[in-house]
Amino acid sequence: MSDFPDPDEEYELMYADELELLRDINESDDSNAVKRKQLPAKRSLDFSSPVINKTQITQGSNDIVSFNNSQPISQSLQPLDDYLTPKNASNKRTADDLFGDINDIDFEDIELPSKRQKTEEENDLELINRILESRKLKQSLLEPSRVKNDFQPTYLSKENLSLNIPRWPFMPLTNSDGQRIYVKLESEESWDSSLGITDQTSLHSTFAKAWEEARRVLEEKQNQKPEEAEQPIQVLETDANNNLLLEKYRPQSYLDLLSEEPVNRALLHWLHLWDKIVFNKEVKTSEPQQRNSFSKRTGQFQLTNKWKGKKEVEPEIDEDGRPHHKVALLCGPPGVGKTTLAHLLAKISGYRPVELNASDERSVEAFRSALQAATLMRSVLDKDRRPNCLILDEIDGAPLPTVELLVKWCTATVAEGKKKAKTHPLRRPVIAICNDLYATSLRPLRSVALVIQVGGATSERVVRRLSRIAAGERVAAAPRTLAALAARAAGDLRAALHVLALVRARVGAAGRQLKMEDVENAAIGTKDCHKTLMQALQAVFTVNDQNPDEIMKTIQAAGEYDRLVDGIFENYLSSRVDGRLLVACETMSWLRLHDTVSSWTMRTQNYSLYSLLPLCVARCHAVLATRTPLRVKFPMQAQEMYRKRQELECILQSVYAGCAPSVALSRNSLQLDVLPLLPYLLSPKLRSANVQLCSESERRSLTNCAAAMCDYGLQLVPRRQPAGLFALELEPDVYKIAFFGNEERARPPPALRQAIAREQQLEMIRRNEEMMTKGSGKENTKEGKLKSDKEKSKEFMEARVPNHLQRLQPKILEKKSQQVHKDFFGRIVPISQVQRSDAVPDVISSSSVFYQYREGFNNAVRRSVRTRDML
Amino acid sequence: MSLWVDKHRPRDLMKLDFHKDQAIRLKNLVQQSDFPHLLVYGPSGAGKKTRIMCLLRELYGSGVERLRQETMTFTTPSNKKIEIMTVSSNYHIEVNPTDVGIHDRVVIMDLVKNVAQTHQIDSSGQREFKVVILNEVDDLTKDAQHALRRTMEKYVATCRLILIANSISRVIPAIRSRCLTIRIPAPTETEIASVLHLVCKKESINIPSDLAMRIARSADRNLRRALLMCEACKVQQYPLTADQKVPEPDWQIFIRDTASTILSEQSPKKLGEVRQKLYELIIHGVPPDMIFAGLLKELVKNCDMAMKCQVASHAARFEHRMRLGNKPIFHLEAFVAKFMAVYKKFMEESLGDAF
Repeated sequence: MSDFPDPDEEYELMYADELELLRDINESDDSNAVKRKQLPAKRSLDFSSPVINKTQITQGSNDIVSFNNSQPISQSLQPLDDYLTPKNASNKRTADDLFGDINDIDFEDIELPSKRQKTEEENDLELINRILESRKLKQSLLEPSRVKNDFQPTYLSKENLSLNIPRWPFMPLTNSDGQRIYVKLESEESWDSSLGITDQTSLHSTFAKAWEEARRVLEEKQNQKPEEAEQPIQVLETDANNNLLLEKYRPQSYLDLLSEEPVNRALLHWLHLWDKIVFNKEVKTSEPQQRNSFSKRTGQFQLTNKWKGKKEVEPEIDEDGRPHHKVALLCGPPGVGKTTLAHLLAKISGYRPVELNASDERSVEAFRSALQAATLMRSVLDKDRRPNCLILDEIDGAPLPTVELLVKWCTATVAEGKKKAKTHPLRRPVIAICNDLYATSLRPLRSVALVIQVGGATSERVVRRLSRIAAGERVAAAPRTLAALAARAAGDLRAALHVLALVRARVGAAGRQLKMEDVENAAIGTKDCHKTLMQALQAVFTVNDQNPDEIMKTIQAAGEYDRLVDGIFENYLSSRVDGRLLVACETMSWLRLHDTVSSWTMRTQNYSLYSLLPLCVARCHAVLATRTPLRVKFPMQAQEMYRKRQELECILQSVYAGCAPSVALSRNSLQLDVLPLLPYLLSPKLRSANVQLCSESERRSLTNCAAAMCDYGLQLVPRRQPAGLFALELEPDVYKIAFFGNEERARPPPALRQAIAREQQLEMIRRNEEMMTKGSGKENTKEGKLKSDKEKSKEFMEARVPNHLQRLQPKILEKKSQQVHKDFFGRIVPISQVQRSDAVPDVISSSSVFYQYREGFNNAVRRSVRTRDML
Repeated sequence: MSLWVDKHRPRDLMKLDFHKDQAIRLKNLVQQSDFPHLLVYGPSGAGKKTRIMCLLRELYGSGVERLRQETMTFTTPSNKKIEIMTVSSNYHIEVNPTDVGIHDRVVIMDLVKNVAQTHQIDSSGQREFKVVILNEVDDLTKDAQHALRRTMEKYVATCRLILIANSISRVIPAIRSRCLTIRIPAPTETEIASVLHLVCKKESINIPSDLAMRIARSADRNLRRALLMCEACKVQQYPLTADQKVPEPDWQIFIRDTASTILSEQSPKKLGEVRQKLYELIIHGVPPDMIFAGLLKELVKNCDMAMKCQVASHAARFEHRMRLGNKPIFHLEAFVAKFMAVYKKFMEESLGDAF
């Protein structure tokens, strides 16, 4: 993108808003500000800025906007949006103030100065302001008393009254005490000017005060009339049969959305990043250079730098003109309006929302076809041929392969897409909606998606909305009851509306009146009251003065009594000063009871006593709770113990399984008697590691040791040490079972281990040989049997020939021809001579072992060697 | 077969070193044609298994000593494959059903049926029944014990069961009544000492009788442990002396150590330390009831008579609860906490009297 837009574009940009405003005025002449008009289909023509459609609202009530302009934007709304830094806002405000106090100025006139510097940033700021203003306007209409008025006439008595003779012009007066008072005289102009500033608002403020008081009185009398100042809600009347409150009062415009502003903005902004690829419209957001130039022109260099600081790290648009994040992932608790938000914003941005939710099939194939249908095609039958925006609702329930397919689809670039026909790059926005952001199946998606957390609306906004709806449905509801309902629902507007619907449906004496009991009895708000284990633990260890009975609820909400009890067990020692250990005894008695009851429950599968378990925990709370804050540790010891126990159990099991059958004994005695003493037996005391130098008895103890190792299936195996050397280690490591942390001291020295290992291998070979000889003996007999069987069968076959046909065959005697010995020259050597010469070498050649004795000096230790030893 | 425990194990009923009259009775039992199911019980290291092997040898001859180890596979009703190791000869099969935990019922049902339904091929000159040895019957689940009940009666013609248990208190009465129960008491210390002398003589080693007595005393009337300790002594230092150090199983030392920690100071902080030690013991597979017993034995040494009773009754109560429960550490710590509280009160009172 160039620094400056080309002249045509610039013109369009400059006047786009005005053009649209004009058209909007023509089209929607009705003064109703809230009603949303359907967008024209060809967005590419008229779209220039994200929420430009809002202008009609502000336009609709122009005079009030300008009145509002004179007020500073409330501080609380500012941090909601990252597009709106406080400094930025204040700058803007001064500009607004400049124009704002002129009552009869045209709305366009206010905008003109900003239009001239037509950049995205300025647009954004301005739009935010406009939205905030219109919000404020709405708010002020609904609750006039809430409007803060900064221009209250201040009459400072100190400045204007004096007991002494002042220096300014004055008028002397005498009060009832007979004291003299000097009142300041002011010129008429100055008085006029002060009035000029304030007269407009002072009226309003007095009204607000009166209103406040009136409302209080009304509330006290339990007058359940709906608020009069409420603006009647525009109800979608197209579907007369549709009397589900939820559908009826679904937000129809951006301003109706209850979710927080930054959330809405973030999603909307992301949707607009798609404009380039969907509508072929330039999106001006991410070029840092352009922003720099803009900032130079407006002299807001620092400001813009700060503003874009975060964005510069990550370009919002990749080289294909698509947003960096291909998928937006909305997450939040149920009922806060995620689906509504997605649908509405998609519609506002000019898309046709296509929803795919848990009710549709979500196998990989089905998902692929749906994805293709939604992102590559465009509806032909609709009269407004708008591009699709795929909304994947409840994606956290989708199987992992499906999500992986989506991720693959998203990450495919344009170039890749050209090469492979199979994976087209994603060309339409995809909004995924989930409750649980950290569901395992969403893990691949989280990294590539733009994650937007949708929180519940604040309860006062929910109350306001509920009261409007209640009024619309002619359900009488006191504000207090509605507040209770909102608190109960905790952001879940859907559940709250269902309660209202229930009241509406009720007829008879009770009438359409929302009472406190209804709220109390409503089975809502219970699903999200889950407490974590740590919260419950903390609650157990702290005194709750306000609501002592709360602990029971907390414990039950946390569930997992078993873990909770573990947590108490691990933390109770540090909770209270307990010199005589009475607290410990008391606590342990409850924990023991819990253990007994819970294992009884599990064993008999009889849950009649299950409700006793939280009581045990609650009793522990009564014993342990303190006012001093305690750092509660997460219960880990039990797990850790279990892990270590398993480890040693495995060692024991391998020894147990490896025992020779002759020594096999029960596991318990192996563990308690044999293994603890085995290490002593496996480290014979030798004077030197060289076996040859040992005495006979030492050697015997060594063989004994080796034999014992063979019996119990132990081996010394070379292992690489951290230092890089190999060392022989016992496998399985019975030292770990035998000793309590000091096993290293009992291990024999490496040289000895070497000797034992060698001896043990020899012992193993010896035993194998024994087995082999036993086995081979058997095999031999088997083979013999087989052979004889074969012979038998042969004979049997022969025996088949009838006796009378059998003929005895004469046996041919084979004549052994005498071996003729020839000498080198071919002469025949006489036999007697041959036999004589062969007699000696024949002995050597017939044996397989040659032994040549070499004479010479040798100082090696001479010892007798057997063949067995060399094997 | 190289450790003394295995090497010098008596192989004949008549060569047993103690409980000789019982051995004679067993021999008579074998010689009668009517050989009932047996339930052999007694503490660990008393010689139950030795006697049973001698008995089998008496029944079948030396053929029972040709053992082989096999792994058998069973399928539970829930289609889970479980494996169990068996030791068997041609005449008997030995199995430890508790190895498979809660699936022991399947093992017992299938195994006993399997063995019982196959008759001895060559019954001439042999017994017409096989023997199934079940280890650790007292740890069997109730289900398994009930499964055993009917099988025992049904297949009595072809198969005899020898059940081994440490104590019959957890064997259901139905099984107890179907078996001839044989109690094998633990050898006394003098008996152990004499066995040690005998073994050392066979090994042609001199053992001072003082050392033999010391080993016998610290072996807790467990002959197996005594022999292992004796051999360990010999390996440690060959010419055995009367005052040499006797190696003990480390867990016994550790329990004593824990007890002394408890006695040294009674405070929540110490309780935390003790907990770590108890965890360590449990990790090393020392059964919690043995921890209870060991602790109690050490702790009451420092108590007067009234307190001894009190502490012992507490220990009994807590141990009973522990058997009902699932988390032994709770009950162990509860016992320690209780003892600490009682002990501290006692100490303060006695100190108060002193001043």
